[in-house]
Amino acid sequence: MSEQPQNQPVQNPLTLVMKAKSPQDYTMLRQTIEHLQSLPPEQNPIIVALDKLASVHFARFVFLDPDQLAVITTYDGDFVDYINDFTNELGEVFDRLLAHVADAPPLPVQTYREEFLEFIRARDLPCVGTFYSAYPTCTVLDILDGAAVSH
Amino acid sequence: MVAVELAEVQGLTLAGYAMPVARYVGLAVREAGEAGAARGFLAALAGGDPAVPAVTTAAPWTVKPDCCVNLGITFPGLAALQVPPQVLAGFPAEYAEGAAARATQVGDTGASAPDHWLPWLAGPGPHLLLSLFAQSPEALDSTTRKLEQAWLPGWTELGRRDGNALPGNVAHFGYRDGLSQPTIEDVPPTGLPDHLPRAPLGEFLLGYPSQHAGYTFPVPGPPQLGTNGSFAAFRVLAQDVDGFAEFLTRQAARTGLSDELIAAKLCGRWRNGTPLVLSPDTDTPDPPIPPDALNDFDYVGDYGDERGYRCPIGSHIRRMYPRGQRVAGNGAHLHRIVRRGIPYGPPYDPAHPRDGRERGLLGLFIGVSLRDQFEFLMAHWANDGTFAAGLGRTKDPLLGDHADGTGSFSIPRPEGPLVLDGFSRFVTTRGGAYLFLPSVSGIRYLAELAVTTGGVR
Repeated sequence: MSEQPQNQPVQNPLTLVMKAKSPQDYTMLRQTIEHLQSLPPEQNPIIVALDKLASVHFARFVFLDPDQLAVITTYDGDFVDYINDFTNELGEVFDRLLAHVADAPPLPVQTYREEFLEFIRARDLPCVGTFYSAYPTCTVLDILDGAAVSH
Repeated sequence: MVAVELAEVQGLTLAGYAMPVARYVGLAVREAGEAGAARGFLAALAGGDPAVPAVTTAAPWTVKPDCCVNLGITFPGLAALQVPPQVLAGFPAEYAEGAAARATQVGDTGASAPDHWLPWLAGPGPHLLLSLFAQSPEALDSTTRKLEQAWLPGWTELGRRDGNALPGNVAHFGYRDGLSQPTIEDVPPTGLPDHLPRAPLGEFLLGYPSQHAGYTFPVPGPPQLGTNGSFAAFRVLAQDVDGFAEFLTRQAARTGLSDELIAAKLCGRWRNGTPLVLSPDTDTPDPPIPPDALNDFDYVGDYGDERGYRCPIGSHIRRMYPRGQRVAGNGAHLHRIVRRGIPYGPPYDPAHPRDGRERGLLGLFIGVSLRDQFEFLMAHWANDGTFAAGLGRTKDPLLGDHADGTGSFSIPRPEGPLVLDGFSRFVTTRGGAYLFLPSVSGIRYLAELAVTTGGVR
C-alpha cells in the first residue's frame, strides 16, 4: 500500500506499454481491440467495466510501432490498493489481451492477482516531471455527481 | 455450498460471544531457541490437556461456556516458535511487517503513532495474544489462572488489558455497538439479518473462494497450518469522551441542531442504534423498528438516500460499509471486516467529566486479508474521502486521524450542506498487533513443529 499525500492530485497516470508475443499476436491484439472498440457502448466490455469501476477518467489504447500496445489512462486513487477491484471489473479484458503479450503473467489474472499487479507495475512508464491536472481535487465520482446536479 | 468443519475454526471469527467481560493477554516465548515449553502450551490450547481450557471453536454449543478462549500469533511469534523460513515466506507482507510498521497506512500517526503505544504492544510486541471472553469476572479470573499455570513454563507475560460491556451494550461515545456484521455464507448466521449480499466464507477464512471473482487468497504454509485460519488487527483504541461531548455541545450551539441529532449525523445511527436512513428525524419512530431490523437497510434504490440528506455520505457507518452506494472501484460490498469489540474503562458520567480515567475499545478486526480489508478500510474509507462523491479529502468523523482542529464534516441538505469543522482526533490508538488466527489444526501444527524433526518439516 502506498501512501498518497493529501496535497497531491487525487488522479494518477497509467502508461502501460506491452510487447506482442509475435507479429501474428500483434495482429490478433489489433483485431481484438478494434473489435471490442467497434461494439456499441453497452456491449463493449471495456466501457461496461470502466463505467462500473467509476475511477478512470480517460482510457485509450494506442498501438506503437512495431510491436507494442499502450494502455493509457488517468485514474483515481492508489492502484495497488485497488488491484482487486480493478481485476474484478477488467480481468476478463486483460485475459484476452495478455494471451498475445510477451512475458505475460499467468492467466487468468483473476486467479493470479499479485502477479498481474507486478506485471503492470513493471511496465507502467513513469512521467517525466510533474503530472499535471487541471482539477487536482476532483474524482470521477465528484465530476459525475456535479454533472448530475447541474443537469 | 462449501463444507467447513466448524470445530476447526476459532469461534471468534464466525460469531460474537455476547459476554460481558473480556481480557487480552500478550505473551512472549521465554527464550529464543527454547521453544519446546512454549509449544507445550499451544498443544494444551489445541485440546491436548484436560486441565487447560482449550481454544473455543465455532462448533455449536449445547451449553454456553463460562469463558471462551482464543488466540492470535504475530509474525515474530511464528519465528520465535521456529516456524521454518520457507513457511514464514508464505505469509503476506503486511502481516510480516506488523502493526507498528504499517502504522502510517492506517492513520496511526501523531498521538496514535507506535512511539506512544502501551509498552507491551510497542517495540517487538507480543508473540501470542490470548483473548478471553467470560460470563463473569470470576469465570474470567479462574480461566486466566488455569491458563497461566500452563503458559508459565514457556511464555512470559508482557501485558494485559481487561474489557467490560457497558449497560445497554453501548460503546463509550454512547452509541449501541456491534449491530452491523457481515452475514457469512455456509455457516450458521449469528448477526442481525439483512437483505444485503452474503459474504463468501473465503472472505473470512483462508482456503475458500473469496469475495473477489475467481480468486482464493493464498493459504500460507502447509494446508494444516493455513487452511481455516484468518488474519486480524488487534487494536486498543482510547476514546476522548470529554472531547467528543464538548464538540457536540459546541456544534449544537453553533448550528441550532440538537446534540443528539449531530451525534446521529456523525455516526449514521442514533445512539440507540436506529439507522438515520430509516428514521431521519427521531430515534423513536412510530411504528417502532423491530430490534432485528436495525441492520436491514440500504442507502440507495428503494431507500432513496443517494445524496445523503438522511444519512450523510461521510458518516461513520456509511463510510465503513457503503452498502449499495456507488464507490470508486465498485467494491462497496467487497472490503468488509468482522468486528469484535468490547469497551474498557469505567462508564462515562457526564455529571463528572474530565475524571482523568482512560476509556476506549478493545477491538479485533478480522478478515482473510489485512491489506484488502482492515487496511483498505482505514486508508481509503476512514482516513480519506475520495472513494465517494463529494467527500473530498475528509475523514471519518469518529475514527479519522484528524490533526488538532483540522477536520470537517458535511451534513448534506437540499438547501446546501451544513459543514461542521474543528474536528480533533476523538479516537487514539494505544497499541495494536497484526495477528494470524490459526485453526485448531494450525495450532497443533505449531505445537508439534519441532518435536519430530528438530525444527523443520
